[in-house]
Amino acid sequence: MTYDFLIIGGGITGAAIARELTKYEAKTILLEKENDAGNHATSANSAIIHSGHDPMPGSLKALLNVEGNKLYDVLEEELDIPLFKNGAFMVAHNDEEEKVLEKYLGRAKENGVPGVKILDAKTARQLEPNLVDSVSKVLSLPTTKVTYPWEVAIAMIENAMDNGLVFAKKKEVNIIYREDNVFTVKTRDGSTYKSRYVINAAGAYAARVAALSEEAVPYRITPRKGEYFVLDRRVQGFLSRTLYPTPSEKGKGILMVPQYHGNILIGPNSVYQDSPDDVSTSKAGLSSVKAGAELLTKNIPYHKNIRTFAGVRASSTHGDFYIRESLQKENFIHVAGIDSPGLSAAPAIGRYVVEAIIMKKESLKPNEAFNPIRKHVKLFDDMSESEKEEAFKMDNRYGNLVCKCERITEGDIVRHIQRNVPGDTIKGVKKRSRAGAGLCQGGYCEHQVMKLIARELGKDVTEVDYFSNHSNILKEETKVKK
Amino acid sequence: MKKDMICIVCPVGCHLTIDTETLKTDNNKCKRGERYAEKELLNPTRMLTSTVKINSVHQRRMPIKTTDAIPKDRLFDLMKMLDDVDLKVPVRIGHKILTNVFDTGVDVVASMSLEQ
Amino acid sequence: MKPYDIVIIGGGAGGVAALKSAYDESLRILLIERDKTLGGILKQCIHNGFGLHHYKEELTGPEYAERGIREIEGLGADVLVDTTVMDVNKENGRFSINVINTDKGAFTLESKAVILSSGCYERTSGAIQLPGDRPAGIMPAGSAQRYLNIDGYLVGRKVFILGSGDIGLIMARRMRLEGADVLGVAELMPHSNGLTRNIVQCLHDFDIPLYLSHTVTDIRGESVLEGITISEVDEQFNAIEGSEKHFEVDTLLLSVGLIPDIGMFDSLKFDISPKTNGAIVDHTYQTSIEGLFACGNALHVHDLVDFVTEEATKAGKQAKDYILKNKKRSHNTIDLTPKGNISYLLPQKLDMGDAFEEVTVSFRTTTNAMTGKFHVYQGDTLLFTKKAKFIVPAEMEKLTIKRDQLINKDPINIEFEVINV
Repeated sequence: MTYDFLIIGGGITGAAIARELTKYEAKTILLEKENDAGNHATSANSAIIHSGHDPMPGSLKALLNVEGNKLYDVLEEELDIPLFKNGAFMVAHNDEEEKVLEKYLGRAKENGVPGVKILDAKTARQLEPNLVDSVSKVLSLPTTKVTYPWEVAIAMIENAMDNGLVFAKKKEVNIIYREDNVFTVKTRDGSTYKSRYVINAAGAYAARVAALSEEAVPYRITPRKGEYFVLDRRVQGFLSRTLYPTPSEKGKGILMVPQYHGNILIGPNSVYQDSPDDVSTSKAGLSSVKAGAELLTKNIPYHKNIRTFAGVRASSTHGDFYIRESLQKENFIHVAGIDSPGLSAAPAIGRYVVEAIIMKKESLKPNEAFNPIRKHVKLFDDMSESEKEEAFKMDNRYGNLVCKCERITEGDIVRHIQRNVPGDTIKGVKKRSRAGAGLCQGGYCEHQVMKLIARELGKDVTEVDYFSNHSNILKEETKVKK
Repeated sequence: MKKDMICIVCPVGCHLTIDTETLKTDNNKCKRGERYAEKELLNPTRMLTSTVKINSVHQRRMPIKTTDAIPKDRLFDLMKMLDDVDLKVPVRIGHKILTNVFDTGVDVVASMSLEQ
Repeated sequence: MKPYDIVIIGGGAGGVAALKSAYDESLRILLIERDKTLGGILKQCIHNGFGLHHYKEELTGPEYAERGIREIEGLGADVLVDTTVMDVNKENGRFSINVINTDKGAFTLESKAVILSSGCYERTSGAIQLPGDRPAGIMPAGSAQRYLNIDGYLVGRKVFILGSGDIGLIMARRMRLEGADVLGVAELMPHSNGLTRNIVQCLHDFDIPLYLSHTVTDIRGESVLEGITISEVDEQFNAIEGSEKHFEVDTLLLSVGLIPDIGMFDSLKFDISPKTNGAIVDHTYQTSIEGLFACGNALHVHDLVDFVTEEATKAGKQAKDYILKNKKRSHNTIDLTPKGNISYLLPQKLDMGDAFEEVTVSFRTTTNAMTGKFHVYQGDTLLFTKKAKFIVPAEMEKLTIKRDQLINKDPINIEFEVINV
């Protein structure tokens, strides 16, 4: 069969485009090279829905950021995603930086960001008592929010699947050609797909994918790594708003970001590198993050640090988002250079691709059966007393507490393993349910999660992956004849 | 030839040497070091703790131990023999799993009770 | 439901010993354990070396656990296994303990006193900020021990171990005996944190090298661990350039510290020591919340289970007295604080309203010494001095202070004077 649309890349961008396309009568497939959606930049970023104060007015980034920010409120209703509407401060320490605040106040207004204003230090400190003493003024950005990015990506894909999307994992595209107005797309495992359109949403791999189809790719991806600290959720209350320093030519700088579940992220720095795969952390990098955060708050509780990580921004030589039909191959759509504010813009990118590009060429009929609603899997710990009683009566596995740090039960985990896009790895379960995301980082529950995945999916425990393909934790059974 | 050892008889942990021919020790602070070094040189022995298969609902392995030390160079031989053991519950602590291994008079016993 | 007099949370060595000593026919006592059987972490510590102090014989971990369990079996106390405590609160002088199990779901128990004996958890790679990639194959040594000894699986075939604590050394031998290749153990400090016996019998016996003053400076592997780099460190623990050694391994086990596991009691908001990461207690093992006791590795991490049993026995007895004798705590306290070369003291307070005759203080030094002296001060006055031999930070020290040695209400300090290194 021939699909109408084939999307490459199951990150937040591909997910948003996929969901948007299922609003129309069309056959759409989404291919992901990893064993889960959202494994790369989508699961390693600051989780901020920026207000739109930062991009240059008139840029695609500015347009889609401000619109995307608003669309998250719609997604919260439709997809039941976590959204923490905590606002943000950009902090200044002196006259020079205060001028920068003025500049961004103007830019935010020009981009149509609502509610922005400059506050004096006293007012700011009343709202955020841990701000460093040297803060002189702040730019308040009340529409800044925080989400749980991989849950958003997975929610979009799940909702799209409910509306007809085909989602295929472990499909790494290695051949693309077009004959008789139809693309043939082949993957490393030997599968072949045919589609009228190809939409390249491969993130840090976008230029590689584009090169499979056209000779002169009009952009290069310049992967830029960012390193972070993660503080345990027990630091909740230390900070409520996201804090930005005044930006420099190098970017937004080191931020402090309270997360939806109470953790605080500190980062990212900005390291250009050749490889989109290198997400290593370094002592020097993390020291630079610490140095940056010293401009934001005092007495940062680093003793509550539970992990460090790094993510790669899919920046491109184009500067702005590069979202347009290929000049060389008709019906091949580039969605590339999606670095910050990519997460914020994602829902708007989905719309833009469909409405501003595809609908100019196609007259798709609306999908009358489209149901925008998806309910998230409610955790036992988040239920009311009566809901808990009801849930336990239906399934006593809610009585088996597996992750004691985050209070996640067997009933919760089983439901996340059984989702449309299943959590079938240790990290897949962690991303969905938070089992293993606490103080002990899975030291207590990892073996139980592994056994639940094996049981539910009929696998041997040695076949359960930690994260990526072939990353099984258990290598071999002892005391058996080899 | 001289051989270096760390005596483990007491917390001092003397780094001593023993002459492999004359059995004369150096750098030990007390007599017990001589006896330790001689035993370690001529007949080193070790307790072995490991596991064997069991069909318990609680755990897939039963912990075991040797009732006394066995020659150090037989540890891996005993490990191999343990691969063939397959216990069925119930097993009480102290249950004999292997008897008189390598003719040493030492047994291998279960070090836990698993009723089901 | 009628409230309990004492609820003990955690059925490992500490909880079992606390139950034994707290038990009285007239009391309603409950022991809660999250696993299906009692025994705690000892069940996976299948090696021997336990019990030399408490039972005067050498036992394996499971044997030590089983002895303790037998001792409480005949008692009339309630034991609730396969049940996890979600949180604990105190209102109107009563503790309410929210628990969950597959029998009854989530429910609440009430008690007049609570003993925390919930053990500890292992410090992770994230907490120590290991540099480099974050592939599969890096895990705390205790997790690997569980997979091997309880579940029967090897987590790797080519193994390196960071940290020379006893768990790391024991796992080096265990993995080697089960057929894995153990390439080495790296220790940041210039001395090992493990017992000499374990250095000899776990490393030397199997020709496993120990790299002192070394740490892991790089980790490679996108999806699974492919290799690590270790480097020598200088006195400030900074890596020395040019000293790198590379190892191709599929597994890196971490033996880098244990932390009291008391996160589920956050809502009680008792005072916590930044040194032990456990509760601050007085000599009755009572925390800053009246009726809340703590002992074992949930209070501070012990190197010997025998000392856990000893401490929990005291805590259990104190909890029993608290209920039976209706003991109220006084606010007449004396602080115990560490001085030179001592990292922490436990207990941190003496409740002078309690009629004690003497108190045993547990502590750790920050430095090694062949010989030295412990000086006990009250204020500026030296109360007494005790000679000490073979002192290492990894081993807990103890000394006894008699009530009649005290001269005033000033804080008590203990200092360690090194004579011979």
